[in-house]
Amino acid sequence: MNRLHPLSAVTLALRRALAGLFVALTVVTGLAAFVDFVSGAWMTVAVPLGFLLGGTYGIVYYFRFEYEITDTTFDVSSGVFSRRSREIPYRRIQNVDVRVGILQRLLGLAVVSIETAGGGNTEAVLNFVSEEEANRLQREIRRRTAKATETQEKSSADDLEDVPAADSESARDRNEAGDPIEHPDETVDGRGGEPSVDHESPSTAAQRRDHAKREKSLFGLEARELLLYSFTSFRPAVGAALLFFVFIAIDPVINHLLTVAQPVGGPEDLETGTAGNYGILTAVSFVYAVAVTYLVSVAYTFATYYGFKLSRAGQDFVYERGLVQRYSGSIPAEKIQSVTVTDNPLQRLIDYAGMWIETAGYGPESSSGSQSAVPLARKSRVYEFTERLTGAETPKFLSPPELARRRYLARYSIIAGVIVAIAFGVSLATTLEQWYLAAIVFLAVPPAAHLRYVNIQYFVGEDHLVVRRGFWRRRTTVIPYYRIQTVSTRRSVFQRRLGLASVVVDTASSSSFSMTAPTIYDLELEDARDVNITSRKQLQRTLRERAQDDDLGLTVDFT
Amino acid sequence: MESLNSRIRLLWIAQGAIVAAILGAVLVGVDRIVVDVPMGVIAAVIAVAAILGIAYAVRLYQVWQFELQDDALYLERGVVTFVETAVPFVRVQHVDTQFGPIERALGLSSVVVYTAGSRNADVRVPGLTPDRARSLQDTLRELAVESDTDDAV
Repeated sequence: MNRLHPLSAVTLALRRALAGLFVALTVVTGLAAFVDFVSGAWMTVAVPLGFLLGGTYGIVYYFRFEYEITDTTFDVSSGVFSRRSREIPYRRIQNVDVRVGILQRLLGLAVVSIETAGGGNTEAVLNFVSEEEANRLQREIRRRTAKATETQEKSSADDLEDVPAADSESARDRNEAGDPIEHPDETVDGRGGEPSVDHESPSTAAQRRDHAKREKSLFGLEARELLLYSFTSFRPAVGAALLFFVFIAIDPVINHLLTVAQPVGGPEDLETGTAGNYGILTAVSFVYAVAVTYLVSVAYTFATYYGFKLSRAGQDFVYERGLVQRYSGSIPAEKIQSVTVTDNPLQRLIDYAGMWIETAGYGPESSSGSQSAVPLARKSRVYEFTERLTGAETPKFLSPPELARRRYLARYSIIAGVIVAIAFGVSLATTLEQWYLAAIVFLAVPPAAHLRYVNIQYFVGEDHLVVRRGFWRRRTTVIPYYRIQTVSTRRSVFQRRLGLASVVVDTASSSSFSMTAPTIYDLELEDARDVNITSRKQLQRTLRERAQDDDLGLTVDFT
Repeated sequence: MESLNSRIRLLWIAQGAIVAAILGAVLVGVDRIVVDVPMGVIAAVIAVAAILGIAYAVRLYQVWQFELQDDALYLERGVVTFVETAVPFVRVQHVDTQFGPIERALGLSSVVVYTAGSRNADVRVPGLTPDRARSLQDTLRELAVESDTDDAV
């Protein structure tokens, strides 16, 4: 059994001690206000006591927190009063992430998170271990996962009459990496915590270590790409964070906005000012807010993706990134559910795009299983990578019928109508009179409908379904048929009148950027049914094929 | 295609009635605290909500159908948005039978099929007699085991 880094005892104790102090403070204050015989003087005793108890709890917690790498599972047991021991089978691990914050980097520490597909939370968080230990864990888990997979594949292959010749891409890969496939005694069960290396000949063990260590670089984000990525991506979440900041520091912010707006005709202060003054202040504030949000978002993206590097180790992808806070993680290739190419209008303008891989786990910051594999690169390269990684052919995209565009025209007209109605409502309640000016939004309706329409495309391939949607953040998702979970055809009242239908293809990826599963919108009903039936048939076919052949379905060396 | 048990209409009508009652209660609250709402208006709103609820329940019952196909559990449902879903047996993680208090009173139960999918990861077949629910659960379990592959998440 291993413990966390001794320094985490210090932080744990401090954190709990502060929590204890706070609880004591609140309880005494609360009681003093309502119960007569409790007085504020109790503080002098209660507060140090809370601090001490909390600190002790933290230290005990440190000593009661243990983790271990066994042959088949990763075990964590924790808890002071109620104990919890958790065993995570290697085969179920989706990704292993290592996070190093700025202070932790100075102290040589790291936080390790282990994710599985179950539950919304990270299954095991080691907060924190030394950096070498983090790397060792990541490597060991990766190695054991690969072995567990291999053993299982072997045992299932033995059941079959015709064991396929080892000429598939992945099998060749393993052979050339020197991993022994013949190890009849290496079953997953039994042999508790014994290090399995003992049973191997020294040379294979060495080869295996070599194999685990050998990382092949696949993609590095160059300075130019990093800058382009920073300046062309927009993070609405930053806006929300800034709004929160404005909320807690409202007065200085307003004063600052007043000083900024004054030279261009803003009011002296909030009390004196004409309608025109206020209009200018509002406009200036808006532009200012957008500019600040954009700049913060640029800085954030830059710091997060600084030094991005993707490589492969065996059948796993390993990535590294971050300027202040370093992230590194590994994703087993066999856990990949789908691959998505994203681009926004700006990126399309300069012919760049990004590639994301999606698993059923949860990423370190995005709370979804999407991991950026290639943050930004030339479009042609990204498409080439995607095709090579998934083995999909170049899609010949199909579009929904023209009728769909009419639907969007109608839909956006309704939205525009609602905006005008709101403007009218506002004009009734205030002195604003030119509510009809809001009708200008109707001008945006035809282009909006058109842009939505042209960005909806799909392709039914040999082994993959490709779904493209969205204008602001266009996503082109490549779904291997064997990853499909359920297929639905949806028809709203409006769609039924036009004879249209949407096809929803659900996979196990925990989030596909937006809140919806990949959807092909507004096909003709017959086409939708075709896509639906084809997907189901292909799912069965590809599953059968995969059962016979241990082909991964992905090419790990995609660059 | 198999339809649901007709008693499910009563459950849905009851749900509609609850919504109508809540709506009525809110309106009465508004009447007491904010502005006067004529009694007639409240009655009319409740009546309209109740009628809509009944119509919805009846229509939903007419629409709801399911079938065990060769490779998948296939369902059709939805009044406003009509949805046809196929849940391949290979993808079934586990199957539950459930019933709430009203369902129990009506002698009904539901089968819930879980997949590893992201959204709508659970598919519910309501309005089955307890016997049918159990047999459907057993069938689905057998089919899921039969078609099991080495392709878990």
